[in-house]
Amino acid sequence: MRAAIAMLAAACAQAADPKAFLSAYCVQCHGPSAQMADRRFDTLSLPANDPNTLVLLQDIVDKMNLDAMPPRAARQPAAAEKRVFIESLTAAIADGHARITSTGGQTVLRRLNRREYINTVGDLFEMDMSMFDPTAKFPRDQAVGNLDNIGDALVTSGYLLEQYLDAAEQVVEKALREEPRPQPRTWVFNSNFRQQPEIDYAHKAVWNQKFMVLYSTTKSFHEEGAYGPLYQFAEGVPHDGIYEITVRAEAVNRKHPYDPKLFAMDPDAPFRLGLVVGNAKVGALHHSQPIEPKLGEVQLGDNGPEVHKFRVRIDRGYTPRFTFPNGINESRLSFNKILNRYRHLLPEDQRNFTPGIRPARPHLLRYGFLPQIRIHEVRIEGPLVEAWPPRSHQVIVGGAGFSESRAREMLRTFASRAFRRPASKEEVDRLVSIMEKRKQAGAAPFQAFKDALKAALCSPAFLYLSERNAPQRLDSRAIASRLSYFLWSTMPDAELSRLADRGDLVRPEVLLAQMRRMLASPRSHAFVEGFLDSWLNLRGLGDMPPDRDMFGVYYSWDLRAAMRTETQMFFRHLLDQNESIGNFLDSRYTFLNKPLADLYGLNAGISSKDGHVFRKVALEDRRRGGLLGHASVLTVSANGIETSPVTRGVWILENIFGTPPSPPPDNVPPIDPDVRGSKSVREILSKHRETPACMACHTRIDPPGFALESFDPIGVWRSKYPNGAAVDPSGQLGEDEVFQDVVGLKKILVERRQPQFARMLATRLLSYACGRRMEGSDRPAVDALAAELRRRGGGMRDLLELAVTSSIFRSK
Amino acid sequence: MPHRSSRRFFLRSSGVNLALPFLDSIPARILGSGLAVTALTPAATEKQRPVRLVCIGNALGFYPPAFFPQRTGKDYELPSLLQPLAPHRGDLTIYSGLDHGVTGGHFAIHSFLSGVRANDAKGMPEGNITVDQRAAETIGGVTRFPALTVGSEDGIHGGCMMSWSRSGTRVPPIQNPRELFRKLFVDEAAADVEKTKDQLSLQGSILDSVRADARSLKNQLGKRDQQKLDEYFTSVRDVERGIELRRQWVQVPKPKPGMKEPVNAGLVNDIPVLYDLIALALQTDSTRIATFEIAGGFEASVLGVRKEYHALSHHGQVQESIDLLLKLERYQMEQFARFLAKLKSIEDGDGNLLQHSMVLFGSGMGNGNSHTNRNLPIVLAGGGFRHGEHQSFPQNGAGRTQLCNLFLSMLHRFGVQVPRFGLSTGTLRGLELA
Repeated sequence: MRAAIAMLAAACAQAADPKAFLSAYCVQCHGPSAQMADRRFDTLSLPANDPNTLVLLQDIVDKMNLDAMPPRAARQPAAAEKRVFIESLTAAIADGHARITSTGGQTVLRRLNRREYINTVGDLFEMDMSMFDPTAKFPRDQAVGNLDNIGDALVTSGYLLEQYLDAAEQVVEKALREEPRPQPRTWVFNSNFRQQPEIDYAHKAVWNQKFMVLYSTTKSFHEEGAYGPLYQFAEGVPHDGIYEITVRAEAVNRKHPYDPKLFAMDPDAPFRLGLVVGNAKVGALHHSQPIEPKLGEVQLGDNGPEVHKFRVRIDRGYTPRFTFPNGINESRLSFNKILNRYRHLLPEDQRNFTPGIRPARPHLLRYGFLPQIRIHEVRIEGPLVEAWPPRSHQVIVGGAGFSESRAREMLRTFASRAFRRPASKEEVDRLVSIMEKRKQAGAAPFQAFKDALKAALCSPAFLYLSERNAPQRLDSRAIASRLSYFLWSTMPDAELSRLADRGDLVRPEVLLAQMRRMLASPRSHAFVEGFLDSWLNLRGLGDMPPDRDMFGVYYSWDLRAAMRTETQMFFRHLLDQNESIGNFLDSRYTFLNKPLADLYGLNAGISSKDGHVFRKVALEDRRRGGLLGHASVLTVSANGIETSPVTRGVWILENIFGTPPSPPPDNVPPIDPDVRGSKSVREILSKHRETPACMACHTRIDPPGFALESFDPIGVWRSKYPNGAAVDPSGQLGEDEVFQDVVGLKKILVERRQPQFARMLATRLLSYACGRRMEGSDRPAVDALAAELRRRGGGMRDLLELAVTSSIFRSK
Repeated sequence: MPHRSSRRFFLRSSGVNLALPFLDSIPARILGSGLAVTALTPAATEKQRPVRLVCIGNALGFYPPAFFPQRTGKDYELPSLLQPLAPHRGDLTIYSGLDHGVTGGHFAIHSFLSGVRANDAKGMPEGNITVDQRAAETIGGVTRFPALTVGSEDGIHGGCMMSWSRSGTRVPPIQNPRELFRKLFVDEAAADVEKTKDQLSLQGSILDSVRADARSLKNQLGKRDQQKLDEYFTSVRDVERGIELRRQWVQVPKPKPGMKEPVNAGLVNDIPVLYDLIALALQTDSTRIATFEIAGGFEASVLGVRKEYHALSHHGQVQESIDLLLKLERYQMEQFARFLAKLKSIEDGDGNLLQHSMVLFGSGMGNGNSHTNRNLPIVLAGGGFRHGEHQSFPQNGAGRTQLCNLFLSMLHRFGVQVPRFGLSTGTLRGLELA
């Protein structure tokens, strides 16, 4: 027995060296004397340095996993020996992959991604971009994991360059539009309100269309009375500018006799009136559109019509539309339902009516009490001109306006700002030459000047962040750009540029001071949003829309927006207060509005009066707390219909531990989900625990996923599946790391896995900051950073400061 | 040529040859990574009508038990999903057992027309170029549009993403009938033509200037960054070529449509209109290559189905869900059948348009419920091939066959005489001219 164990131990040691295993079991048929199936292993070089070796290694792993090799007739390795060999080959593949994707521990020439492009152009011209997206036809940015700003992954193509040309045209022509100073005008609408075909006839019959009436939330499947447009004003405002919109509106039937569950409305919440915009050229004004920023929202009292004023920026061609954010969910379905269920509440002589939605609408509107917002009058005044010429002109040509004699100087200034460093004489010459050529072709001088600006926006000097170590570290200007895109996702502002030009940003104390200044600015929201998108994939929320039947509240309570806000506010809080990053693993508080608190089943004492407002909520319930209790995380790691412990387990490995698993073997039979029986998914996945080949990865992947099975696809706590099977959230992470549920899992994470988490977070943050993957060569620096962070108490702000002052951030 | 169909084998052997030009022809080498003009398709004459290529795909596949016939050969029975194709039985072939051997579910369906997933593209000599774009490279300005990609821009996990160029970018589709109609048939006003020419001239000047900017930037960069900047140089070249083509075509008036400008009505209702426009585009030789992808925007409610399409594709073997799913799939099949009828009804030289158009219909998703990309649903119609059968290929073992073999056959028929495409090991066994 002992001899057998010793032999096995020796065999395992041998298996840990893959080449020895191959020599022992494989090379007879796959070596110098024979190359069966055209494969030869004795010449394999490890570590793997090229894709073909990787493919070969993966081939071997696959065959071993399927028990296809060695063939039955040949000498077989022991099961343990085989497992060790598979593990070491898998590690070699991961290592080889890292080598091949290596960029030498340096950031590769990194182009602006879409969101950076929009922000940068907006800042170059001091133009509001909320209604203007010149990147609408840009191809999607190539991502590495969830990171969308990795230099060597972002590709430039002929198609994208065509879009850059087109975008430059749109941007310059909009910013420098030549028009006389517009005179403010007033438009008043107080009758003949046409909204949409589905309801106009009813409004005509009942009120002669003398109000605009809103019923549904904008997240309803049928958008009826969800967007209240002014079809008489479909062409929109004639000029970009500030407009004052005065609206007389009233909440009607907030107290009604019907079951509030029919509407999915909170009966105690005051009605809220929202203001968005729409563009008739894009699509129907009563439906949702890709660009519809929220310009304002007010609360309506219950004492009849009130007057509210909004002072907002609207672009030419856009027209105001009104919404009822906490209105009825699916008003279209309400009409018949109410008429039938509450027939007794109709006047006696109106209780017999024709069935069908078309007769039902006017009938209920006349004789019933449907909750609604009625808008009596809309008055629009503007544009209210604050500066003339507009800011976007002044920032390019100066206060005195354009003059040909100063054109070269203006081009030089613009190019230097756009290139984020002084433009060379040759670069300016080229722009001037374009301007001259256009004049020769017949363009007016100002138009020719504008054309030259477009060229600067297509230059690689604008599109790429070019960074060089000069010699060991990045120079001051490169650091300025990097810092600015890190914290604001846009070009450096005037102050940062000034310090950059003076060479001051190579000094850590200046760097820190600027970092603090930038974090204190509201522009740093771009960092909160961009980093959380890149870490937790929050931008993916909504890619797999939850099923409307099973998870209606996701829509009726506008949960997508709420989920994002919770996680963003949580992150912002940790950053501002320098609270420990351990809070991501488990925390005693989070940030909620009433719909989220209700989703979580928490008695958070949030009043319906201001239920839409987010506030910090202490968590007594240990099931919530930390990112693993956030609906955003739980939703984005499911597919909108069902959960999978494997998917959520992989998500945790990637984004909490930083140890992504290797992909599954090619020929693993997929689960063709059969939800008819009463099997729980845990039972279906039992193969993972029974098959030795699968165990290796799945003992790591499945357990955290099992813990999260207590949450449904939108993060609601459950102890049973829809088919009645009980949820079993227990599992084991490592030795001595057994847990019964997510509370137990989080305890283990906090007590034992914080160093690993800190390393992952630092790595992800540095990748986002530098625009490159962190590699093996960075590990010592990351470890040192994590150690120093621990010494300082693990605060999120400290992490950021350590990252910005690190040698990694300050080198290419 | 070895008959191994293993992707691994291919990669291994081509890895050594990565540095050498992939195509045999000299013009290809001279043009570098740009257009590979191996076989310029001649301008069409009245009698000698050119071959066209149409590829149609969806994101979620087709319910396999209702798609694949049990029997093979000429006497195969039509399963329920294929019933709408009954009138065209003699003009088409059903294939089973073909695929690219990729995995990834939703994340692999974009390899439908190439056989290569986007993140594997760097290791392949032609990247993940799709068969339609490969054919489009050889058009050389003979038609106004080298190819037309039409349909859903997005969908679950980005949607079909059916068309990919040589440089590894997805070709975005024209999303609605109105836009396609205007592109095909609405001439720009004379003033607009002048404006277009002026615009093209400006763009040409800009490209000259930025190329010079790139050259001076290159001198200041390290080696890795210089290689990255090459993407930019390639892009400039590509755009210049596009400008040259547009400069030629802007002078030529567009053909008469013979239909009114359509109104957009949402993807489900737009599908027949888009098919009609594709037929017209082929008939007027505005293009010889069209791709149609059906993914995002397919609102099941328009067909009276209350549940969401993707949710239904995860039917979990629940019969009620399967029935609803089949309703959505059958609609797509009916529209395809209508398209074939339309092509048949259009005279084209000495035959009809279907005889001269290869029409591929299928999906990169083999089984939407389990997310496999094996055994893809494939129908090939027209193109002058001999049809009328269900051809089945083994999914494992000696006879296992690459879907790219079909694509190679199609390229040859189109006039692109290349030795391989994607993972092909040869042309498709059993596919012959009529």
